[in-house]
Amino acid sequence: MPSISELKAQLKQLNAEYAKIKDMPAEKRADFGKELNVKKQKIIQQIADAENAAQDVDIVPLDITASRDINADAPEFLTADFGSQHPLMTELDRVIGIYQSMGFDIMESVQLDDEYHMFDSLNFAKGHPARDGYDTFRTKEGFIPPAHTSTMQHRVLKAYKHKLDEGKIIAVAVPGRVYRNEDVDATHEHTFYQCEGVYVSETCTLGNMLGILREFFEKYYGQKLNIKTQPGYFPFTEPSLEFLIEKPAALGGKGKGGDWLEMLGCGMIHPNVLKMAGIDPTKYQGFAWGGGIDRLVMLRYGLGDVRNFESAKLDFLKEFAC
Amino acid sequence: MLISLNWLKLGLDKIDISDDELVKLIGARLVEVEEVIDQTHKYDKIYVAQVKFCEKIPDTHLTLCLIDDGGKAEDVERNKDGYVQVMCGAPNVHQDMFVAWIAPGAIVPASVHDAEPFKISMRKMLKKYDSYGMIAAADELDLGDDHEGIIELNPEGLQAGMPFAKAFVDLNDKILDIENKSLTHRPDTFGLLGFRREVAGILGQKFTSPDWYLNPNVDFKNSSDVKLEIEIDEKLCPRYTAIVFEPTGKEYSPYFSNQATLLARAGMRSIDPIVDATNMNMLLSGQPLHAFDYDKFVAVGGSATPKIIVRAAKKGEKLTLLDGKEIEMNEDDIVITSNNVPVALAGAMGGANTAIDENTKRVILESATFSLYNLRKTQMAHGIFSEAITRFTKGQPAGQTLPVALRFAREVADYLKPVGLFDSQKTAPVAEKVELPLAQLNSLLGTDFDAATAQKILQNVEFDVKTQGDKLIATVPFWRTDIHIPEDLIEEIGRLSGYDNIAPILPLHGTADPNVMFTLKTALRHHLSARGANEVLTYSFVHGDLMKKVGQDTDNSYEIVNSISPDLQHIRQSIVPSLLDKSYANLRAGHEKFALFEMNQVYPRTNGVDEDGVPKSTYQLGFVVVDQAQKSDFYLAKKYVQSILDNFGVEYKIKPFLDAKDKSNTYYESKRSANIETVDGTLIGHVGEIKQRILREFKLPVPTAAFEIDLQLLLELQGASAKDFSFSQYPSVARDLTISVPLDRRAGEIEARIRETLSQRRLVNRVKCTSIYQAEGADTKNISFHLDFARTDKTLEKAEIQAIMKTLEKIK
Repeated sequence: MPSISELKAQLKQLNAEYAKIKDMPAEKRADFGKELNVKKQKIIQQIADAENAAQDVDIVPLDITASRDINADAPEFLTADFGSQHPLMTELDRVIGIYQSMGFDIMESVQLDDEYHMFDSLNFAKGHPARDGYDTFRTKEGFIPPAHTSTMQHRVLKAYKHKLDEGKIIAVAVPGRVYRNEDVDATHEHTFYQCEGVYVSETCTLGNMLGILREFFEKYYGQKLNIKTQPGYFPFTEPSLEFLIEKPAALGGKGKGGDWLEMLGCGMIHPNVLKMAGIDPTKYQGFAWGGGIDRLVMLRYGLGDVRNFESAKLDFLKEFAC
Repeated sequence: MLISLNWLKLGLDKIDISDDELVKLIGARLVEVEEVIDQTHKYDKIYVAQVKFCEKIPDTHLTLCLIDDGGKAEDVERNKDGYVQVMCGAPNVHQDMFVAWIAPGAIVPASVHDAEPFKISMRKMLKKYDSYGMIAAADELDLGDDHEGIIELNPEGLQAGMPFAKAFVDLNDKILDIENKSLTHRPDTFGLLGFRREVAGILGQKFTSPDWYLNPNVDFKNSSDVKLEIEIDEKLCPRYTAIVFEPTGKEYSPYFSNQATLLARAGMRSIDPIVDATNMNMLLSGQPLHAFDYDKFVAVGGSATPKIIVRAAKKGEKLTLLDGKEIEMNEDDIVITSNNVPVALAGAMGGANTAIDENTKRVILESATFSLYNLRKTQMAHGIFSEAITRFTKGQPAGQTLPVALRFAREVADYLKPVGLFDSQKTAPVAEKVELPLAQLNSLLGTDFDAATAQKILQNVEFDVKTQGDKLIATVPFWRTDIHIPEDLIEEIGRLSGYDNIAPILPLHGTADPNVMFTLKTALRHHLSARGANEVLTYSFVHGDLMKKVGQDTDNSYEIVNSISPDLQHIRQSIVPSLLDKSYANLRAGHEKFALFEMNQVYPRTNGVDEDGVPKSTYQLGFVVVDQAQKSDFYLAKKYVQSILDNFGVEYKIKPFLDAKDKSNTYYESKRSANIETVDGTLIGHVGEIKQRILREFKLPVPTAAFEIDLQLLLELQGASAKDFSFSQYPSVARDLTISVPLDRRAGEIEARIRETLSQRRLVNRVKCTSIYQAEGADTKNISFHLDFARTDKTLEKAEIQAIMKTLEKIK
């Protein structure tokens, strides 16, 4: 390995070579210049590496098996008062806890997926405009950071299909991080959390879906709730609905009615979705739903700016000290 | 989408619920109503008035008018005939005309949403003329953009003094702002007719579409002078209907039309009777129409036998659009051609070469439907987002091209005479039939509909429904392009009758499996926060520069092609760099000592893909501890790691750091970091100090230590080492021990030897290092331990203790 001063001399020499370009035949200039640039980059990198290595010589190795440094006090944990848990994560724990108590298995969503799981397996026709509504990000390879936790429906159905064969039912909640390509402001984030529910049995009905959803929110808010629905459109459910609850007392609902919160989208699983996962839609039927977690937290704590969640700002997080 | 409630109600039976209840029902059974814009007082104190007398004021643009308002306005001076004086600046004011007069005290409708609404009062003009109120132009009434002159009302059926609002479909209206995203699959509801049909169904009314829609009737003959052939690619263009017209020569009516007010309520503007008729028909049916100049069309094609050919565009094919822009098309675009020469970008915009202008004689009206998939691509590729293409991308039904074209022909009959009808469809397709067993309906919804009720619900919205035993057989009307399977009918019945009438019933079912990953994460969250650390979430996407800063290869990350900004262009390979990135801002905010941790999935490309071909993640716990007082060293991070691994009963070894082992962990200072491994050498994670030059770039104190642990591994390994709960009921002996060793001797090994020695003698023991001391200039270090040990069968005797200590002191 040449020394730093040798490398610098080489660099100087190389820089001088550039002067030759103007004497070259025109057709050779480009190649010659390119070659010089490659050489130059290599030397610059070597100099940087050598400089870093020189710095690293001063670094004192330590005894990794010891509990402390020589002549130093033993390290101390930070004061417990400083600690905090992320409000989104503790809320997700609560949500998951309620679903578990209601007999739902839990399967966390992936954070990088493909077109098949995100759309095809959910009965979105190829090239259908409904795909545009999801504002998905894409990688060079065509992978998709999922825009909804429904991206897991096909996996859930396949993974738990054996339960149907065993005479049981599929009841799974799928929490996960999802992504949409949209501009960020106080009420919009490109990164947020959702929780999906998938339920399949021989006999379950839309009435059962409403029953489960009402039960969940009643447990979540610890009170009886009025619910209502609006028609929705999702290619993977038929019928499709939006589910609303009347503002609970915990969120300032006065019980007078008329104040509704849209909590999630839901519907009876489209027979094509079941079929694609190898479940016979003439024998089984199911329902599914999905809703945002961030909003639940914002409502619970009366927070005004969704951007704080992924900011890692201690000033914000310490409000949620444990 | 904006819908006028008054226009909507026009075709419905009497509604005996309030508007509020109606809007609620629409919300519950059709589509979300985002907002109801109440305009019921927007035209208060505006009257139909007749101009009784006009006199131009010389050398000004003003005309002195006396108007008859039927004596309706208050606080105005009237002449002996009861007329009111008002000055008017419009050039088209003339005697006897009927106008809209904004009386004093009224708010100018165009200004109702302004910060300071414009209230009309009496004004003195040219210092001597009293002027009461204002004779209004279309723009002031918020019914158009026209300010060239005042609007003139068709006198038929009008009398002076009636409220202006009543001269049309009542302008005292409520406008529904519809969130149309959930109607993506319902092209029919993008026309008022379809929306109205749904509302009838919701209300339990039987709806019947107008005759022109169901039974189109051609009441003219093709002229032998007009030739046109149509050639389509049915995949791209299921149906193309064209009517050729020639002008009647009649001048346009000067009167302000009812249509103009309806267009305004839908957020559109009146242009002229022909354009208005195309827009009105689109609003009514959802079917967009387009007009070409027939003679230009023939000339462009350059053939004696003009032919409309609808085909896929060729890559690079060019067309100058109506707005003057030249576009380059691609194979996904559909192009309308005249004998193969492009004249329009289908569904989006006409070409300049066949545009209607003041010299236009004959026109071709196009009423066609195109592949929504192609038009979606056209919309994206050329950035055209018109009312028309929005409707086309929902997939307008082929069945309505002819009826809508014929309706247009009747509406414009005063000005245009149809001379030729051409249609690509020769025979109507057979309507689809869908069978629905009643049991399936009730078992899916959890309801108990009888056949007659279900039948009626569908019949109300014009399905032809027969019953056969316990089965409904529904013939799908041509406009319901979304109905194909029994579930589609179930949705209709459930929705129209109200999902909210379905009783919520909690099913009984089995128990859940415990979720180990969530339990682990919850426990870790408690464990670390109880030790002063802060759980954070940071983006999965990072800047390429951040990766470079910590020495990671950006080629080892998936790259987002449509990222919001360069800050979010790469999917991260590990969590620690994100935490380093967030640390400085917290230091600057005054936090001098803190620890950040995050548990999340990361996607280094080296992880490869799973059996589905989807990238595999690593579930990682990343942790960084920062201390302005420079106490965040390797040992502090290690203490956290050990507390976790001990707490979760993991058997592990702290091994020398090998940074060549994976591509993502490029930021640990190898001389001051370690690998965390299982006893059989599987890497669980890393712990150590971050390289100094990286810390300097992040403006963080030196040292700053971090660790990361693979949570999936932790999950598999937890509980493997049974905790040592052995204790003795005999008194234990406490001793301190200091051993002097060469500087390169490892403290951990000495400690292990002590434990080993004690354990070999079957002594229950605890060993704790209390100090490591090196005197200045010495080539040895003294390691001190505090020991507790005891026998389990009896109390240790002095001699035995001495022997033990002697053995221990010999350890080197």
